[in-house]
Amino acid sequence: MLKIENLHATVDGKPILKGISLNLKPGEIHAIMGPNGSGKSTLAYVLAGRPGYEVTEGAVTLDGEDLLEMEPHARAAHGMFLGFQYPVEIPGVSNVQFLRTALNAQRRARSEAELSAGEFLRVARAQADALGLDMEMMKRAVNVGFSGGEKKRNEMVQMGIIDPRLAILDETDSGLDIDALRVVGNGINRIMRKPDKAVLLITHYQRLLDIVEPDFVHVLAGGRIVRSGGAELAHELEREGYGEMAA
Amino acid sequence: MTLLALPSNREEAWRWSDLSALPALADRVPTGEVPGALPWIACAQEGARLLFVDGRLDESRSRTGPVEIGQVAVETGHPLGRLAGKTGWSLKLGRDHAPPGLVQIVHVSTGAADHLTAEILLDDDAQASIVETYVGEGWTNRLTGIALGRSARLMLSRRILGESGFASLTDQAALGEGASLVVAMLAVGGRDTRLDGEIDLAGEGAYAEAAGALLARGRQRHDANLVVRHLLPLGMSRQIWRSVADDQAACSVAARVEVARDAQKTDGEQSLKGLLLARSATINAKPELEIFADDVKCAHGATVGELDRAALFYLESRGVSPDEARALLTRAFVADALERVGEEKVREAFYADAERWFA
Repeated sequence: MLKIENLHATVDGKPILKGISLNLKPGEIHAIMGPNGSGKSTLAYVLAGRPGYEVTEGAVTLDGEDLLEMEPHARAAHGMFLGFQYPVEIPGVSNVQFLRTALNAQRRARSEAELSAGEFLRVARAQADALGLDMEMMKRAVNVGFSGGEKKRNEMVQMGIIDPRLAILDETDSGLDIDALRVVGNGINRIMRKPDKAVLLITHYQRLLDIVEPDFVHVLAGGRIVRSGGAELAHELEREGYGEMAA
Repeated sequence: MTLLALPSNREEAWRWSDLSALPALADRVPTGEVPGALPWIACAQEGARLLFVDGRLDESRSRTGPVEIGQVAVETGHPLGRLAGKTGWSLKLGRDHAPPGLVQIVHVSTGAADHLTAEILLDDDAQASIVETYVGEGWTNRLTGIALGRSARLMLSRRILGESGFASLTDQAALGEGASLVVAMLAVGGRDTRLDGEIDLAGEGAYAEAAGALLARGRQRHDANLVVRHLLPLGMSRQIWRSVADDQAACSVAARVEVARDAQKTDGEQSLKGLLLARSATINAKPELEIFADDVKCAHGATVGELDRAALFYLESRGVSPDEARALLTRAFVADALERVGEEKVREAFYADAERWFA
């Protein structure tokens, strides 16, 4: 589904990614772990097409199509979702308005019928309920006045509503307490653990991987993948730290 | 060639205005062609409807209700207000009176200049809601005098649409004890504007609100100048202006709050915000406070900025196109001002007008 080949990228002219190759197939969950500054978030932003992140070498395809040629909104319409490490506050735009605009823009791009206000609200309510977010919050401005945990839950509500085929989740577990982590982790499993979907789960810690069990674990250090393995690799990292591998 | 005595940019109060188009507009002959569809607002309770074409009442398409047409005298020293003349419309409501429904006035300009004066006099406890909509392509010049008695309430909403030309609106208002005046404006067409407002809170505990959303593109100019004077204690005022400028356009808002020595416990607030959609556009924001009383609360804020890039990317990453994302954020930006419109149907019309600007 997502094929990354020898990806190099710079931010402000500074090389951050130095040759990453990954192949995500439908039904797979890949975890990317690594120390601070290893390039995890840069990888997420490059894949989503954030301005300022420049690809200098390599290729990325989504279902065989050149992902890097697509604008960010086109990537979304092709089924990609980025869960932000720091979800953005947007005063004056309600969650409901934002998500209905986003969902219908994607559906239009895929020549699917748009959802009416009523249909949309039913979908939104179901997802908000599943993630324990009050529907009243969905009517408020996007992430404004939300706690750190509520913002992350809101990312998952958005993912549930948009129902992407490929999710790139950038430290979705950071800033969550144990209970919220369980809610979010179960949300990821419920929404994304399907034979036709794939997830790239970027995380610092083992905790989330106890709930969302990865099929593959990759260690990113210094802009390269230095080791890949199965779920057991995450446990090894938890015991021994990144020290050896990152060196 | 008409001889127009217009203020020059050398005068501080006119430094951001461009009146250079006015002499030529004043010399033009109106076409008299009225568009088939007029921007009336459909509401549950229909009130008076007045259609002015080039400053003249079109009686066949108006029902004046409590509004009178004829001689109107409003004293002014304003250089454009002075040109408005001595005829126009007036709404005079006796104590406790309220006209049924919304008073709607549509001003159509068919390419030349027209001038009109209006007077709104509400006696104690009277109340009214008026919406004025300006369309067409000439120079529309208006002077409006407003006097509100004790606890009278007036909601005045103005939509400046129109394809081209100029609209100059000069308001002079005096509020009695506990009276309330809310003026909300939206300038969203292709016209240049010069908006002047002077509001005197001349009774204790009066409330005044002046809000506006100015949207400009091309080489358009919007220029608003407001003064709120707190003359007696316990008054409250709010000035909320949102300017959006694209291309080479310029939006300017100068808003002043004056608090007289006797106006203790005044509560004033100014919020002037500008949004630049292009680096070549201009926003001027000039908040001013002049306070002679010692026990007052006056907050003011002025900001000018661009659309939040992080928010744009967030929206785009969810599938919203760049154009739609910009429109969504710009709409949210002007909403603070549009929300001040009291009646739901009028507010919806304001939002729909703004929506067309983004289309």
